[in-house]
Amino acid sequence: MNFFARNLRVHEAAEDLRRRTLAQIGRPLDRLIYLASMRDYNTGLYYHDGLASKFGDDVACEAIAECHREAFHELVSLPLEVLVGQMESYMKTMQTAPSDFLAMWKGIEPYRVAVPVGADQLAIEFLFSNFRIALSILGERLHGRRPMEPGASLPQLPVQ
Amino acid sequence: MIQLVFSIFLGAGLIALLYLFWMRERARPEGGAEALLNAQNALNKLKGGLLPTALIARVFAQDDLRFVATHSTLEVQKAFRKERKRLALFWIGQVRSQIVSLRKFHLGKSRFYARLSFATELRLAAAFSLLLGECRILQAMIYLRGPYAFPGFVGRTITGAARVCGVSERSIAYMSLSSSKIPGSGGTENQAAL
Repeated sequence: MNFFARNLRVHEAAEDLRRRTLAQIGRPLDRLIYLASMRDYNTGLYYHDGLASKFGDDVACEAIAECHREAFHELVSLPLEVLVGQMESYMKTMQTAPSDFLAMWKGIEPYRVAVPVGADQLAIEFLFSNFRIALSILGERLHGRRPMEPGASLPQLPVQ
Repeated sequence: MIQLVFSIFLGAGLIALLYLFWMRERARPEGGAEALLNAQNALNKLKGGLLPTALIARVFAQDDLRFVATHSTLEVQKAFRKERKRLALFWIGQVRSQIVSLRKFHLGKSRFYARLSFATELRLAAAFSLLLGECRILQAMIYLRGPYAFPGFVGRTITGAARVCGVSERSIAYMSLSSSKIPGSGGTENQAAL
């Protein structure tokens, strides 16, 4: 298979994955975790039986990697407020008590293994930082800590 | 007083010229391919992860600051500002180090591949020095006043870096072509770009 034909197959496989599977997963956070779970941590290769049987192992692997990068960039570009909302919804869908979930996410930071290989270091650091802040905000909400009065501690913002 | 300032500027200019000559003398064609590759990598890093405005806009986004200010305690707000400051300093540090790599290549090896006039080399060196100076100023500003105090200066630095990258990219693309054909021929395109 030449370079262009292979690229076309990868594109086709990625479209198939988006249409059949990822379209059912509404939140980018869930998509990122789902796609990262298909990766073998020892080899860095992605496995998906259905996709591999249709397109072959290599093409399927590359297509999943493409979708993984896409989900990562989508998540990085979200405002913090939306990320907090997504994490809260994700936490509610888990079979774990919210306090346990937050303790685990703060403790072992499972999101660290969810980033695609070759992602830019600044984008990775930015996402991790947002996760840490989001977890702190969710922790405060869980413990019923009241935020400051709206605008009370808002610093003077420079004129844009 | 004016004479003193003038003398200082003149002295600094002479030192810069001497440094440029010294760099030209020291440069050897050996290892040029590796230097070209390093410069290409620096450009890719700048273009791929350090200069895209969407990501940088998110790092410096004021809507995140507003959200945290209205939805969290002082403790989290403090942590948020600290995180953003760390990210902003990390970003500007990375931009600076990639620009230094590019400048090193342009001062040392580029003239073995492209026929750049001395005036063009001088203009390019001045553009690099100006940009590095801006990076240092921005670094100091972020360190002292945090990442939200000077949004205009961030945009200015990105524009300056993108401009230098554009010139550098054109010359590297040209050099990649020329080095695979006839090394050292032509170079007018790069001169026109500056």
